Amino acid sequence: MLEFVLRRILHSAVSIVGVSIVIFTISRMSGDPLLLLLPMDAPSEVIAAKRIQLGLDRPYVIQYFTFAKNALLGDFGFSYRWNVPALQLVLERLPATIELACAAMVFSLSVAIPFGVFSAVHRGSWFDRFGKVFAMLGQAMPNFWIGLIAIMVFAVGLKWLPAFGRGTLAHLVLPAIALGWYPVAAMTRIIRSGMLDVLDAEYIRMGRAVGAPEWILIWKYAFRNAAIPLVTVLGVYFAASLGGAFVVETVFAWPGLGRTVVEAVFSRDFPVVQAGVLVIAFLFVVTNMIVDISYGLIDPRIRHDR
Amino acid sequence: MRIANKLKIAGTALAVLLPFSTSALAQEPAIGELTIAFAIEATTMDPTKYAAGADMYFIGQMFEQLMAPGPDLKTRNWLAESWKIGKEDGHSVLDIHIRRGVKFHNGDPLTSADFEFSYNRLKNPEISSWSHLQKSVDRFEIIDDHNFKLHFSKPDASYIAGFLQLWAVPKKYFNKVGEDGFAQNPVGTGPWKFVSRKIKDELKLEAFDGYWNKEHRPGVKNLTIKIIPDDVTRVAAFRTGEVDWIDAVPPAMIADVKALPGVETASTGSGNNLFITFPEHLPKSPFADERVRKAVAHAVDVDAIVKSVLFGQGKRYAEIGEGAVGYDPELKPYKYDPEKARKLLAEAGYPNGLDTPCYNLTTPREPNMKEMGEAMFAYMSAVGIRCRVQGLEYSAWLQLGKRGNDSKLDGPTSWMWGHGVPGDPGIPWGGHLHTYVPGEGWGSYSYASNPEIDAMIEESKSIMDPEKRAAKLREIARIKHEHAYGGVTTYQPLITFAWNKKKVSYKPWPGSYGRSLQELGLKK
Repeated sequence: MLEFVLRRILHSAVSIVGVSIVIFTISRMSGDPLLLLLPMDAPSEVIAAKRIQLGLDRPYVIQYFTFAKNALLGDFGFSYRWNVPALQLVLERLPATIELACAAMVFSLSVAIPFGVFSAVHRGSWFDRFGKVFAMLGQAMPNFWIGLIAIMVFAVGLKWLPAFGRGTLAHLVLPAIALGWYPVAAMTRIIRSGMLDVLDAEYIRMGRAVGAPEWILIWKYAFRNAAIPLVTVLGVYFAASLGGAFVVETVFAWPGLGRTVVEAVFSRDFPVVQAGVLVIAFLFVVTNMIVDISYGLIDPRIRHDR
Repeated sequence: MRIANKLKIAGTALAVLLPFSTSALAQEPAIGELTIAFAIEATTMDPTKYAAGADMYFIGQMFEQLMAPGPDLKTRNWLAESWKIGKEDGHSVLDIHIRRGVKFHNGDPLTSADFEFSYNRLKNPEISSWSHLQKSVDRFEIIDDHNFKLHFSKPDASYIAGFLQLWAVPKKYFNKVGEDGFAQNPVGTGPWKFVSRKIKDELKLEAFDGYWNKEHRPGVKNLTIKIIPDDVTRVAAFRTGEVDWIDAVPPAMIADVKALPGVETASTGSGNNLFITFPEHLPKSPFADERVRKAVAHAVDVDAIVKSVLFGQGKRYAEIGEGAVGYDPELKPYKYDPEKARKLLAEAGYPNGLDTPCYNLTTPREPNMKEMGEAMFAYMSAVGIRCRVQGLEYSAWLQLGKRGNDSKLDGPTSWMWGHGVPGDPGIPWGGHLHTYVPGEGWGSYSYASNPEIDAMIEESKSIMDPEKRAAKLREIARIKHEHAYGGVTTYQPLITFAWNKKKVSYKPWPGSYGRSLQELGLKK
């Protein structure tokens, strides 16, 4: 098991290094930050002085190794735009994004689990069909549109919930729905198909034969087995929502990481882009590593096969 | 484009502003709390580090300059009580007397040393993005606590155009708390004191009871500025009452917002001037021919586009906007005349029209910019200037448009450059009308080249007498307009504010960077 864990950690480290090279290269290919930082009529000596100050005059490889060395020590440099340490800017926004991603997952699961289970148990019923339509709506509608409609209905129209910002639980509701609706369809399908397989299994039929209550069979025996594949997509969706919450964060003025990083991309704020992407990549890799290791713990065949 | 924004952001459209009167509420003690919302926020709270025009909306609430535009759009002395231009040893000298009794938020009195400190920071390229604007200042001489002189190596009109450039930055406090300390807790002389800030979330300010200008003390004690970038959400937050004043109502929603009960709105110029520019510098380009450029000018019905695409939130202008330095009421925009456009094209050797790439800035630096560009290119296509439109994101637009790269933009391009308010085209023209001179900053985004205009622009930069300078700018504008040099001017965008008039009193003021937040008050 120890070897399995070490192997997973090594794979994760390689992934992070790969991401750092890719993001470092791509961000520098996207344009010259000095065009955005300096006035349009700045004379060449001012541009040259700024380039030296930011270390952008040095060869690319030297820039990368300097960045990598400093990053290992937790120093991602200062934001070109905000004049604050890039990592500080990113980490200050991380809790808001994690909070939103968690709330979105809670919403997704609280909808997908009952829908998936009931759809399987009552296959072909109106509830099954309604569940499919509801779940598919989440995939069909862009999350910014869901967000805007939710604001117009629940904030402006009914005045039940705030239209923007972060602070109370009420502030979380609309952004969580806007972000969490999308994965509902996939989760519902996974649970439904898993349940359909399990409900036909012999041990469930045996349970019925011996007179075990149906709800115990469904929730205690069938669902626990059917939910295993859900763990995989849960990890992936959670990690993806950390970086993918940008649109929802913008719509709801949610002070999160996704919005910060995307805006940094447009302003060619390399230190913030690098810090933000690496933090998200780190969380993504760690989440997946935990999922992998948990599989290994659950199923010994996995840790021996790999 | 952004240069005058950084010098002075405010509105150009006095005609659309509500009449200004001194706020009665502002003279009473500040009371209560108010939450307002902006779409954008400042990147820094340090006036010597400002980079973007939006910085000034916020910095300008806490910090002040020697001069400022008044509500009538006329520049007036602010922290300077008086100043004069003289000559010493054949060189220009600005002799400045600063106002007595002005205090910083921490209680320190304002002295000449604070301006010297500000000057030293502004001229340092490692601190300021605008160090080149201090290049013509040879030295700073303190006479006493309230008098100082700026000795110029050569006359520099941009100093006058930029409200005498310098900001009041508290030297003693800054040296005590250091760079980081100042960034965390900035202290100025302005009507608002800094309380706290969360980037991409909110800025909290408190009325400064000791503000020197008693007529313009804030009417609200505690002000929270929320940052809500999405237009629909910002308006929704206003409608729910979560915020009671909003900046930048999107054009498409202005009619709805105006129709809300108890809501008042006002519009002001954004400070940006928009135009279509051409690759005049490429000898083989059809647009090197003046007749083709004029054909574009006659082909586009700017008024119709402003009305339908921008919902009226723009104002036509011819080279220099109304209220700006050198404004000439006799200079009129080109008339929409598609027949004349076709005739000009035929005269230029294109009776069947021509095909050209057209570049459109798609980043919404101003409302509906992308759609406005698309409409203008469609009008051009209708007379035979058939555009293959390519959208450009802001950074790519800058990268491709910059001379020396050398500009990859080989067709008409939607362009903008801030003239500020009260507008001053002198400095922007140095960037987009003067011939490109590598390394000098002249013509860094210019595709025009005319020695006569170059000489006039350079001359205007050295005329420190405001009247004479205005006359020179008027002269340049006429030549520019007559030959459609340096692009065809289209419109100046308007920005609309809305507030809940049952709760809030507000006197919009195109000075104070267009966001005169000290004029906010609470109704009892």
